[in-house]
Amino acid sequence: MITAQHLVYRYDPKDMPVLDRVSLEIPEGQYVAVIGPNGCGKTTLVKHFNALLVPQEGEVLVDGLSTKDAKAHREIRRRVGMVFQNPDNQIVGMSVEEDVAFGPGNLGLAPAEIRGRVGVALETVGMLRLAKRAPHSLSGGEKRLVAIAGVLAMKPAYVVLDEPTSYLDPAGRERVLNVLWDLRQEGISVIHVTHSMEEIVDADRVIVISGGKFLRDGAPRDVFRDADTLRAVGLSTPQVTELMWRLRAQGCEVRPDVLSVEEAFREISALVGTGTGGGR
Amino acid sequence: MKTLPLGQFIPGDSPVHRLDPRVKILTVLLLSIVILNSGAAESLVVTAFLMAAVALSGLSAGRIAAALKPLAWFFVLLFCLHLFFTDGRPIFAALPAVTHEGLDRGVAVTWQFVALVVSAAVLTMATAPSELVGGFEKLLRPFNRLGVPSHDIAIMVSVALRFVPTLLEEVERMREAQVARGADFGSGGLIRRLRKMATLVIPLILCTFRRADELALAMEGRGYHRGPRTYLRELKFTRVDYAALLAVTAFLIGVEALRFLPP
Repeated sequence: MITAQHLVYRYDPKDMPVLDRVSLEIPEGQYVAVIGPNGCGKTTLVKHFNALLVPQEGEVLVDGLSTKDAKAHREIRRRVGMVFQNPDNQIVGMSVEEDVAFGPGNLGLAPAEIRGRVGVALETVGMLRLAKRAPHSLSGGEKRLVAIAGVLAMKPAYVVLDEPTSYLDPAGRERVLNVLWDLRQEGISVIHVTHSMEEIVDADRVIVISGGKFLRDGAPRDVFRDADTLRAVGLSTPQVTELMWRLRAQGCEVRPDVLSVEEAFREISALVGTGTGGGR
Repeated sequence: MKTLPLGQFIPGDSPVHRLDPRVKILTVLLLSIVILNSGAAESLVVTAFLMAAVALSGLSAGRIAAALKPLAWFFVLLFCLHLFFTDGRPIFAALPAVTHEGLDRGVAVTWQFVALVVSAAVLTMATAPSELVGGFEKLLRPFNRLGVPSHDIAIMVSVALRFVPTLLEEVERMREAQVARGADFGSGGLIRRLRKMATLVIPLILCTFRRADELALAMEGRGYHRGPRTYLRELKFTRVDYAALLAVTAFLIGVEALRFLPP
């Protein structure tokens, strides 16, 4: 469990706080999406989860360990893996497998154990085939996957990803999102910071941050139901949700909390009285 | 190619490739001492040794020549300096500056440098960079107690090597961005061109600092700390490595001993 209590953080003491008394609990195994406009404090929040930032007021606990205790940082960072936005700046090794071995090497594991972990991590992200390649010869999506594997080799309970799909082509994006979903299936918490509404409709939970506070915190269906609030802070809803809202505005009887094309298809079929129909 | 031009690793499976990197590093070190001390007879033996090493490594003569090529002018200059500025008996009456002694010294010194470069080239071409770094790290490890941070040095070197292609890509991106906005890097004299390079160097330095910040965070996030760590491949001497090291050491000591034999 990651717990934040009344967390306050300012980059400059004279400025408004970037995070203003926010509290949350993330149990193990939850897929949490964190969204919000640029500069809202998303990245600042998640950097608190693995003690890269320490709260100026309030407290963050990772499985009971306080991030204020510098002696606990190593253990906290092992439990909470962090994948940064730019994969180029987090790949350390001269080959894919050596990069993935960096973390376990820091833990002082025996070479056989490192080999095992590197194999499992690369298998999980589907990059075993490219284990010997030099990082700079990989595509953007592949670099992301290597960065994720590097974190997985630490056997974390939580993985934080800061915009893991930015600058990726649709195929690369799909691969990364599938890997995140696999992690969730394996019981690892995924904390996914993003701008894209479409990516997070399957999340267990969506936290919307604006102006350093949590604007919404709940299941995607409940969060997107409230399209006006999201729009007011410069966020959009998924396109199918938006479509349902427009239809409702025209007086059509459709659900307001539609998240997927499947659901939208059923609603519209029911409306026009063709196809499989039935809706709910 | 977005890599270091000189002595770039050529993957292969030759006996030289398979040797433990420490054997190769120590050989090059010993060889350098011998090269810098050798007279005419020793240099012939060392040349034969180098040619055997190149043959065993499966590297083509072309690759070796390519490694020497960027230094060609340096070799010519070195040779000429010795040829013209050594006192002694003139070879041609008309050209008193060119002496027999100068010719001898020129050939000897130029050979020494060529031999040093060739031995270093065989080392770096037949050893993966990561193995090379690992080899140096393990050789330095006994000096940990004296305050030599072998693990930290190894990380520093490997991160530096890892980022060379990334930074070259970055320079290319910035150059294109500036060319797209009308900059012209191709024309003008040397001074003008160098001055234009400043518009690339300054942003490159700034970008590199930002990268370094992020890299440090990412490394910390993956549990990096100063001091001992473990590696995916822990180097281990095999019987072949021991035999090779022993043979090479004996051979090179033998060559050195040549000089003490009565002529």
